Amino acid sequence: MSELAHGSKAAVSARGGNVDAAWLSMLALVAVLSLMPLFAGGFLLYSLSLCFANALGVLSVSMLVRYGGEVSIGHSFFVALGAYAVAIVEHRLGLSIAVSLPLAILLGAGVGFIFAFPSRRLSGIYLAVATMALALALPEILIGFEKFTGGFEGLYIAQDLVPGVSKALQRYYVALVVLVVVCLALMHFRRSAQGLALLMAQAQPRAAEAMGITRSWARVSIFTVSAALASLAGALTGFASSTVSPNSFTFFSGVFLLVGSVVSLNRLSLPAALVGGAFITLVPTYLAKAGDWVPIFYGVALVVVTLVANAGDLRRFLPRRRR
Amino acid sequence: MSVAGFIRDILPLLWSGIISGCLYGVGALGLVMVFKSSRVVNFSHGNLACLGAFVVYGFSSGSLLSLSWGSAVALALGIAAAIAAMSYALIAPIVFKSDLASTIATLGIGLILQGAVQLIFGADIVNLDLPVPRFSFSIGAIRISAYDLAVLAVTLAIVGGLFAIIERTKLGVAFRAVSTNPFACEVCGLNLRSVHLFSWFAGAVLGLVAALLIVPTTFLSSTTVPSFMLQAFTAAVVGGFSSLPGAALGGILVGIAMNLFSFYVAPEFMNTFLLGVILLTLNFFPNGLLERAIGGRV
Repeated sequence: MSELAHGSKAAVSARGGNVDAAWLSMLALVAVLSLMPLFAGGFLLYSLSLCFANALGVLSVSMLVRYGGEVSIGHSFFVALGAYAVAIVEHRLGLSIAVSLPLAILLGAGVGFIFAFPSRRLSGIYLAVATMALALALPEILIGFEKFTGGFEGLYIAQDLVPGVSKALQRYYVALVVLVVVCLALMHFRRSAQGLALLMAQAQPRAAEAMGITRSWARVSIFTVSAALASLAGALTGFASSTVSPNSFTFFSGVFLLVGSVVSLNRLSLPAALVGGAFITLVPTYLAKAGDWVPIFYGVALVVVTLVANAGDLRRFLPRRRR
Repeated sequence: MSVAGFIRDILPLLWSGIISGCLYGVGALGLVMVFKSSRVVNFSHGNLACLGAFVVYGFSSGSLLSLSWGSAVALALGIAAAIAAMSYALIAPIVFKSDLASTIATLGIGLILQGAVQLIFGADIVNLDLPVPRFSFSIGAIRISAYDLAVLAVTLAIVGGLFAIIERTKLGVAFRAVSTNPFACEVCGLNLRSVHLFSWFAGAVLGLVAALLIVPTTFLSSTTVPSFMLQAFTAAVVGGFSSLPGAALGGILVGIAMNLFSFYVAPEFMNTFLLGVILLTLNFFPNGLLERAIGGRV
């Protein structure tokens, strides 16, 4: 994780003068994705819209790992918060996502802050346990507050953002634009004073405290931003799939977000987010016949990627010498 | 509500809270054992216990074999111990490097076990009872059944056995040493891996015992046992996550609190209640409710 902190110098110097390859490839990727609706069929477009929304959810988890060194398996809670915010605003107030998207971000930030506050002084492991409880509490909350959430049935989201444009295109482009904007914002955040301060609070807590940033403050603020992103992802998910119901927010959806994050190596770039989002969106779609194999597949991916990313040189574990 | 009526309600609630709390405590002990020695939160704890309970069901009900209940349990214990060893072997390369990565890896192992249960046993809901005689008697307002006595006896035996190992044997001394200061142990030439492995075995056994005893009160399906583990996690948090007596007592407190909550407030918000308990505990008693009562003892 700390290579992020050390890599800043190189990144800054690479920005001088030449437009580097990373930028070009990202631009090319965005261009290809923008032209996709000209070639792709309806179902693929729909899958891709969901994939963008999930990629944003993956980004929110990755951000928590990168900046806070913390792991969350309950981000499905914040995703659900955003999705239901869109649905409920439409049902009760009759307003489109032009209103509910910013509202979802605020809601996510607020709830994220409240949630992260109790474990601010404790190691990340306590937060992980608390997020597990969050993921398990979510379904019963959705079903219990039937009056607002529509219970088992869920709610439909019908309103368009821009009247007169076809639904499929709207879903696709709204999700794509938001994802790209968030990726750019994250790149900017990485180089901003605030981003560096948060990284420092994780890598060198003492040094950061000397500069006036406590570790606990860094923890809470990172979780707040991450939850806001997850909630935004949820708003996009709701908008892209036109419906929200407890079925899409089980305990496993939170775990799968983490799987996507791990598979994308917790990177915060657009390609990495797309890989993670695609991994958790397209696998269940195309492996629908092998339903029971999906958790096994994800579990293996999680274990293998974690091992390969963290183990370093495996020869150390041959008999003779340890560590 | 009259005082007499209140007492008639509260005593059975307390009693059954203690009984189920014992099981949450046993589940929590497994989590805390693993956490103390290897600094890993074992998220596959519940899935492994679930698989073990299904193995008992499969080998004793005739869906795979028709063994006696006792030999099915012995087999399940063996399988659970083997899977625990494999799980530890999987995360062994990273267990010293990153607590967080190891914890994520246990989630992956949990997913694999979950998928295995669904593949082998399907998504059916089955009943798995304990082979205890059906009798019960009353003391005042409390009805005490054979099941309650079995739970108490098994809990006392297993917790007593565990504490005897930790207090009296060489392995137990090593375990306490490793959970206090792993670096010093390594300097003294202690094999950390064997201590880790012991705690993973103990965790698997404790989880399976808790699952087998809890299942008769509900039913067995691929999701019930993992969600029962939320109660074990809550008990561990209430106990401070690094104290064994704390975990046991935390379990009983959580059991009683859950019973009172479901009777007087809203049974359908049980997990939300546990979430609240976890958050409040973390905020006000970061080292567990029993920090002052027990102190920093292992």
